[in-house]
Amino acid sequence: MSQIISFTLNGEKISLETDPMRRLLDVLRDDFSETGVKEGCGEGECGACSVFLNGKLVNSCLVAVGSVHGMNVETIVHFKTTPAYRVIEQAFGDAGSVQCGFCTPGMVLAAYALLKDNPNPDETDIREAISGNLCRCTGYNMIVDGIKLAAKQGNGKW
Amino acid sequence: MKNTISTPVDRLDGPDKASGRAIYTDDIRPDGLLFARTLRSDRPRARILDIKLPELPDGYFIVNKNDVPGRNRIKMLEDDWPFFAEEVVNYVGEPILLVVGPDREQVNQILKSIEISYEDLPPVLSLEDAITAESPIFGDDNSFAAYEFQKGDPDSAFDAAKTIIEGEFKTGYHEQAYMEPQGMIGSYTDGKLTVTGSMQCPFYVKNAMVQLTGFPENRVQVIQATTGGAFGGKEEYPSLLAGHVAMAAIKTGKPVKLVLERGEDLAVTTKRHPSVSRYRSAVDENGRVTAMEADITLDGGAYAGLSAVVLQRALFAAIGVYNIPNVIVRGRVLATNHVPSGAFRGFGAPQAFFAVEMHMEQIAAELGMNPLTFKEIHLVQKGDTTATGGVLRDEIKIREMLNRVLKLSDYRKKEGMFASRKGRFRNGIGLGIYLHGCGFTGKGEEIIQGTATVRKLAEDRAEILVSNVEMGQGAQTTLRKIVATTLELPIENIDYPNPDTDRVPDSGPTVASRTVIIVGHLLESAAKELKARWDENEVLSVSKSYRHPSYIQWDQDKLQGDAYPAYSWGVVAVEVEVDTLTYETAIKGVWAVHDVGVAIDEDIIRGQIEGGILQGLGYASIEVMDTENGAYRQRSFTDYIIPTAVDAPKIESELVDNPYEYGPFGAKCAGELPIAGAAPAYAAAVGHALGIPVHEIPAKPETLIKRVEK
Amino acid sequence: MVKTYHPETLTEALKIRNETHALPYAGGTDLMVRYRQGPGLVPAFDREVMFIGHLPELTKLQEKNGEFAIGACVPYREIIHHRHTPEILRKACSLIGAPAVQNLGTMGGNICNASPAGDTLPPLAILDTHLTLQSVSGERQVSLLSFFTGPGKTILRDDELLIGIHFRLPHFTAEGYRKVGTRKANALSKVAFAAFMLKEKDMLADIRIALGAVAPTVVRSRELENRLIGQPLTDLANLMPDLLESYGTLIQPITDQRSDANYRKTVSLNLIENFVLKEES
Repeated sequence: MSQIISFTLNGEKISLETDPMRRLLDVLRDDFSETGVKEGCGEGECGACSVFLNGKLVNSCLVAVGSVHGMNVETIVHFKTTPAYRVIEQAFGDAGSVQCGFCTPGMVLAAYALLKDNPNPDETDIREAISGNLCRCTGYNMIVDGIKLAAKQGNGKW
Repeated sequence: MKNTISTPVDRLDGPDKASGRAIYTDDIRPDGLLFARTLRSDRPRARILDIKLPELPDGYFIVNKNDVPGRNRIKMLEDDWPFFAEEVVNYVGEPILLVVGPDREQVNQILKSIEISYEDLPPVLSLEDAITAESPIFGDDNSFAAYEFQKGDPDSAFDAAKTIIEGEFKTGYHEQAYMEPQGMIGSYTDGKLTVTGSMQCPFYVKNAMVQLTGFPENRVQVIQATTGGAFGGKEEYPSLLAGHVAMAAIKTGKPVKLVLERGEDLAVTTKRHPSVSRYRSAVDENGRVTAMEADITLDGGAYAGLSAVVLQRALFAAIGVYNIPNVIVRGRVLATNHVPSGAFRGFGAPQAFFAVEMHMEQIAAELGMNPLTFKEIHLVQKGDTTATGGVLRDEIKIREMLNRVLKLSDYRKKEGMFASRKGRFRNGIGLGIYLHGCGFTGKGEEIIQGTATVRKLAEDRAEILVSNVEMGQGAQTTLRKIVATTLELPIENIDYPNPDTDRVPDSGPTVASRTVIIVGHLLESAAKELKARWDENEVLSVSKSYRHPSYIQWDQDKLQGDAYPAYSWGVVAVEVEVDTLTYETAIKGVWAVHDVGVAIDEDIIRGQIEGGILQGLGYASIEVMDTENGAYRQRSFTDYIIPTAVDAPKIESELVDNPYEYGPFGAKCAGELPIAGAAPAYAAAVGHALGIPVHEIPAKPETLIKRVEK
Repeated sequence: MVKTYHPETLTEALKIRNETHALPYAGGTDLMVRYRQGPGLVPAFDREVMFIGHLPELTKLQEKNGEFAIGACVPYREIIHHRHTPEILRKACSLIGAPAVQNLGTMGGNICNASPAGDTLPPLAILDTHLTLQSVSGERQVSLLSFFTGPGKTILRDDELLIGIHFRLPHFTAEGYRKVGTRKANALSKVAFAAFMLKEKDMLADIRIALGAVAPTVVRSRELENRLIGQPLTDLANLMPDLLESYGTLIQPITDQRSDANYRKTVSLNLIENFVLKEES
């Protein structure tokens, strides 16, 4: 039974009439063309579909859109316009953190989720923070380096 | 001396990927798009008796073997692999038909309502079955390919041996686990077929489409979309998906998209061939191996695919990096009712390196010698010959590299210290020494004769036209860097759009670690000529086609001579700690030195090395894929586990400089090389920690606990 | 398409539950995987669904003088970050999935999902946890161990909701937690182990041991624990063979695509022995 579901998407209040059990991931990709949100596994293992829900990192494949009624959803589409994103993008570039790129938007959001709570993370903090974001290309160390560099260059201004 | 070309630059594809702007196959949404889903066999081997289709609503279609306009065979070595099953299905997951339509829910409903009745046939579910099967799947002996070659006089050497040592070594399935699942989009407009998707080899797909459709070449166009990882998994398999969307597009006249869901991707796409290798070595009174016999058997799955060439690369790597005067190598790929095995980074070599490295460890142990010393005295030098009798003409720096790894890892000290460790946590350290033959095996490069073009677009701008793709490995950056440096233009002024077969020459597939050494070299030569002729015209193209260096001799019938034009080399040490309560293993350190000629970009090479090593460590440790009644038991990322950032070790990695005359700026190959040594190094380290030989990977805790606790 | 409910209060939720028996959806991390169908397809829920994850009454975590009351819909991440959370529970929660899953998944969900491998269950079992189940007709308290009747099966009635999780932090001198998965993070358990020990002088005054993923429901036996309680520490080693044999009969692991029965059993017994004798995990 379609229902009206209202939430804030990237700062904009939206209402849509849809099946509340649809995955937030599908709603973002199919209804809002947010193709920066990727589907890698569909079961919360890989983190490619990461978004912020009320400011917290979640896997959008595990979220029924009906459950976000009244909440705040932020995706890479909005996050990429922020100064914090630019710091992370530059750091990822300098550290060679990007290869095939399919995990990268999710990895960027996971990095930010860490840095805004913990601006000076140690190696263990970083690895745990991205442990739900699978990457098959890099072996992770160059991503860890990218996050370390972002922490340094962001200098606590998250 | 540092080469300026090696200084890292920011990857040119980085910002688009990080920001989510990069468009992958599933992100492409043309108007009028239809979605396809595949109905698959749930039997390993059966005759299809009947397919009951429901009444289809308007706008929905079934696409099956009857819709093949040309030939229902994927163009490959044997042409035995159908796009859609005909009378018989040969593996669980084999496509039978597609349901196509505008609404995915509806497509799914239709798919679920189709009933198939089968008559089960006796399946071939193991290598043993393959040998004894009464009704073979392929030919009269279930063998897709079998080869044998020798060097020297192995019979006499075995006769004269003081000791003969034998061992059996096994490796399991290995899933590429690229993050972007496979996907394709087909469209058909004004009699022209266009296929866009995630792929390594646009011209493989194009040639497959020509054979499928019977269309002339100018009516088939293939375009690569941004590709989210491949590792060989998008070498041959995309041709199958392309065929499906092509037929659906031709039938419906609309664009059709087929993207595999992860579980489906795991269940039905090609993996690394499982292997069983039997080795036998003759050792003289001085502890020298005088002869080695290797017999490698691969599980090829239900169709031939690329198995024959995978086997060749395995066999050519069979004696590893050792100078063995007398050699006999044989091997075969057997047909089973498993999902077809296929290309995966290393392409047969990782199986052989695991076997030969563990066999060398085994010989040393049985002779009471130190394994490192034993390997060291057998290492090849410049001028020695390979298993196929090819001459190693170029400078070999393997000893220098080995010494460096020993120093970085403090190997000798740990080796002694760990051996005497008692108690719950046991440490071990192990070594892998390996090489990778660059480019295609044998005459491959000569046969495909890749062509690469550099085109001047403006006074300060040029374009690369090749069919090689960026799939994460950095081709966008390395190839542009080669051309930009040669033309003395800023790298941003070199365009390199994703290949479109209507625009680019066939420079060959993006496989075999050939992109830089072969295609990069063609681009370097083309750019050099273009630079010399820069002022001739406003727009000017220079193309270069591959010519085999005349010194390379290869006899494909006898498998004798130089199997590869050049070799890259590697040494890796792995330190582990095993918890003997649970037999879980933690990787405590990895130290590696590689010779890739000259690095075109040190960051990109580091990315290849670290990613390759971790993939190899996963192969040896936690990545378990096995079958039950022919189907994989692990069909999700919850069950097929790849390492996370927490599992990944730090890797201390260095390069040695060793320029290659025929590579661009002296570069050789790098993509596949680093995966070969990690598995044997890991297995040797676990063996060292527990005091048992580890001859099978993945070295699961479940297996280790049985071996130690009983 | 199934009907869904989005109540604003617990009272409203209980009423809906009573009338419709709708499936409670807290964080969704188990349900969305269980019913998933693939890209672009609506997960195939087979009954009405009620979203409860946002209800304020269910998202409170309180600690008072060592008494814990955790709302059924408190996500793992909040439990991990709460300063009074017992270490053993913090550890168990922080090894469930990864941060993005911990932000969604709830302890109530982990309990009601009743997976043999539910990671919070062994620590909750040794905390002598009680659950509050509420319906329009009233409320009842049950022990965690009596809540489960089999894999995926509980005594929760279809008019009830699990609303709260209660335990008191015991006094102990050693604790042990170990999750054995295929990898170090973001893995499902092959074996999970949790234990407390209280030593008084030369005697074992109390011990509690629980195991997950090795039987249809979480394994804890007060009877076997009692065999050790009151014993001199020097006698523990002698008691081990019999004790392990008895645990061996309680542990009935399965062989599946992630591990095998032999491994699960051997490791479980190794972990018990090692904790009792060496206080390590």
